[in-house]
Amino acid sequence: MDTDRIRNFCIVAHIDHGKSTLADRLLEGTGTLDQRQMRAQVLDDNELERERGITIKLHAVRMAHKGKDGQQYEFNLIDTPGHVDFTYEVSRSLAACEGALLIVDATQGIQAQTLSNLFLALDANLEIIPVINKIDLPGAEPERRRDEVVDLLGVEPDSILLASAKEGIGIEAILDAVVDRVPPPKGDPKAPLRALIFDSYYDKYLGAVPTIRVMDGTLRAGMSITFGNVEAKYEVTEVGCLRLGRIPLPELGPGEVGYMVAAIKEVSHTRVGDTILDANNRATGLLAGYQEVRPMVFAGLYPTDTDDYEDLRDALERLRLNDASLQYVPETSIALGFGFRCGFLGLLHMEIIQERLDREFGVDLITTVPNVKYHVKLTDGSECDVESPTALPDPVRITSVLEPIVRAHILCPAEYIGNVQKLCHERRGIFRGMSYLDPKRVELDFELPLSEIVLDFYDRLKSCTRGYAALDYEFIEMRPGKLVRLDVLVNGDPVDAFSVIIHADKAHSHGRDLVRKLKELIPQQQFAVALQAAIGNDVVARTNVKALRKNVTAKCYGGDISRKRKLLEKQKAGKKRMKQVGTVDIPQEAFLAVLNLGDD
Amino acid sequence: MPTQVSSVYVHAPFCARRCNYCDFAVQVRKEGDLEGWRDAIAGELRAVQEEGLFALAPSLATLYVGGGTPSLLGAGAMSALAALLGPERLRAPHLEWTAEANPESLTTEVAEQWRRAGVNRLSLGAQTFHGPTLSWMGRMHGPDGPARAIGIARESGLTNLSVDLMFGLPRRLERDWTADLEGVLALDVPHVSLYGLTVESGTPLARAVVAGKEIPVDDEMYRDEYLLAVEMLGAAGYEHYEVSNFARPGFASRHNTAYWDGSAYLGLGNGSHSYADPVRRWNLADWDDYRTTVAAGLLPEAEREEIGPTERGLERVWLGLRTGEGLPVEDLNHEQRQRVARWVTEGWTASVEPRVRLNAQGWLLLDRLAVDLDSGAVG
Repeated sequence: MDTDRIRNFCIVAHIDHGKSTLADRLLEGTGTLDQRQMRAQVLDDNELERERGITIKLHAVRMAHKGKDGQQYEFNLIDTPGHVDFTYEVSRSLAACEGALLIVDATQGIQAQTLSNLFLALDANLEIIPVINKIDLPGAEPERRRDEVVDLLGVEPDSILLASAKEGIGIEAILDAVVDRVPPPKGDPKAPLRALIFDSYYDKYLGAVPTIRVMDGTLRAGMSITFGNVEAKYEVTEVGCLRLGRIPLPELGPGEVGYMVAAIKEVSHTRVGDTILDANNRATGLLAGYQEVRPMVFAGLYPTDTDDYEDLRDALERLRLNDASLQYVPETSIALGFGFRCGFLGLLHMEIIQERLDREFGVDLITTVPNVKYHVKLTDGSECDVESPTALPDPVRITSVLEPIVRAHILCPAEYIGNVQKLCHERRGIFRGMSYLDPKRVELDFELPLSEIVLDFYDRLKSCTRGYAALDYEFIEMRPGKLVRLDVLVNGDPVDAFSVIIHADKAHSHGRDLVRKLKELIPQQQFAVALQAAIGNDVVARTNVKALRKNVTAKCYGGDISRKRKLLEKQKAGKKRMKQVGTVDIPQEAFLAVLNLGDD
Repeated sequence: MPTQVSSVYVHAPFCARRCNYCDFAVQVRKEGDLEGWRDAIAGELRAVQEEGLFALAPSLATLYVGGGTPSLLGAGAMSALAALLGPERLRAPHLEWTAEANPESLTTEVAEQWRRAGVNRLSLGAQTFHGPTLSWMGRMHGPDGPARAIGIARESGLTNLSVDLMFGLPRRLERDWTADLEGVLALDVPHVSLYGLTVESGTPLARAVVAGKEIPVDDEMYRDEYLLAVEMLGAAGYEHYEVSNFARPGFASRHNTAYWDGSAYLGLGNGSHSYADPVRRWNLADWDDYRTTVAAGLLPEAEREEIGPTERGLERVWLGLRTGEGLPVEDLNHEQRQRVARWVTEGWTASVEPRVRLNAQGWLLLDRLAVDLDSGAVG
């Protein structure tokens, strides 16, 4: 197809602002899918995504649209994930576009996530088409939102479109604007092949299938290809575009978006941001912007039942087939046995992986307290990275511990400024500025240790702003901090799964809260259980779970042994669900409780 | 091949009143329906014979008639039962034939005729000697009822007597447990059973607890009462031969032992349980359902299960630990022996070699310890 008739664009929106519904309307409006084929929000086809209302995997859908000029256009709608953990992935899919629809909720206005993705879109030089959505709702304030957008982007007020995706209002105008305002892609069909990978999924028959945007040259079946950042060669067996499934095509030319099948065994070969090259005619330069996946949050994942270790390993392997950003290495915990230390892009990514392991693979998990990666300088001059609290060297050998610091942008109604500042202050935040988006809404900037964010920060932020705040952050630097390891000892034995690296000033109160919470959650056992929190040999808090005084139902009536046995089986099953640490049974909730200490 | 059973339980479902804690298969009526009961048991026996899973041994070792209130069936009940089971099966010199009775319905006539029919052991539901507590429970007899009934039994020639007592009652009743234990010692019977009150769902007691009108006993008082009973009964020469049973030498209940050692047993009557390895089954609990089913010539089975190796293992550990005989240590693996070693340091065992036997402290944790030991079986 002539590049003049191609339009590649994405939708930038906050969660719940109607991105998926709008995508559905565009598919309908262009006749790509008829009503019969429509499931609500077809783009979010992962069950988990639907439930959480967020997009985890990226997709690209091709649509044919007949413009007002009577010409046939090829639209590629590229979906972007809507969460702070996936900023890099978002930036790569934006790099595959020339334009973006900026969706602003007419009732709520611009949110932090929208802003951050909008800035990414502006960085990528995309043409922005602002759309104020949900104008049909009772609380809609399109004029106010229009002013906001004008202030923000410096655009003409009448270039801002009004729509209600739900009611199908304004869809035609959006399609026309895509034709008129999104620039056609550029690219040299005669140059050596360069194609950008902006997503990849794993198909058990086809292997890793990257979703790509051809920048220069042409990609067709039979070609031998390689990658800019991976040493591997594959023969292309199929190229095409995506609709409700793969549509094979003879070739993909400059500006075109689609997929490639080449019997690629590992998704780790199809890295987001990498460049696909013609193995027999390598282009000299790679596409800019590639980054290695960099996990920010780490946690131990352990099967509740040690017999499930193999199942967990298989499940992680299969998940990684589809998610190259998931990293894991085997790890052994004294308390929890064999498991894996996993690296995630962020907290949400971690939750998603946990839920998928539970839901899709049926593996019952214990997750340790998430932590960040620390950089440790030792007295002997050497340095090391620490991804697990137990790996922190002896304090006497440490010169300094550096932790990742992020710049956090928090958007909230002005009345909650005090609450947000208090929370950020408690989390060792440094105030860096504040700006009003409009008289009622404000953006607060803080520098925060990432470790303070990974532990329930988001939940606390939501609750102190009645759910109105939105958070976004980016990594700034590694910075030295007064950090110590706090251990929990159960009957004198340290339970490594409870260990955390924490700022020295907070260690005491954290220790107190932790043993108090554990006392509530560890059921009475036949033995008394002593709980202690300690920094090195210094015990900072202690308490006891009293021994069980009685657990017998004396009478066994007239041979009714079955009923009684069933009660014992229940007890036995309950015991099995717990982790035995020494002689103490610790329920799974106790391990989870460490994650939510601030709840009470 | 049918399994031969030499231990038989027969349920007598009638009670003049339902006790507030009772969730048994009980039919409340002023007088027992002897005719109906006899016909129903006869019908079930025929159905069991036809089924062919159980066969009565030519000579029974134990027969236990429980309830309900068997004494409410009157003086003729036991001879009627003997006729159904076959008098020839009840002639062994060592047959233990127990019948339960409530103090108020045990008359001289009942006691004498029962003895003549072959009953040689009587179990009396005394529960307490505290008047207000008896009325709270809904029992019909007064504080002196048990002594009177024991007198009647002895006059009739029944000397192998057992008395039931309940402990762990709500504090507000102000029942004096020491006085009750003294009361039972004064009766000078060879066998005493103690039961901790359990709040079973669906009972008036459970409803009172849910409504906040009754506070179940706390674990401390439960412990104290249990341990006091063990001490006082022990001092009076009773052997603590099972978690809730005490007997003078030679008077341990052999019928209950059949439940604990894995022998086969047949239960007749509504709600009763039968076991013939690997099958355990139980009858319809409701008296009317039960009797119409057997009247139709059908087996009154409500449910059955097959005891597999895992279930059998847990039962064996739990039943073994509840008896003074305990479990043979040679049956335990390394992991289990380590757990037992910990019990010894905690002071929960009477012995470990050659059998692991719990003491009173250990029995207070019986369920937990059984689960603990059984969980170590695969370790």
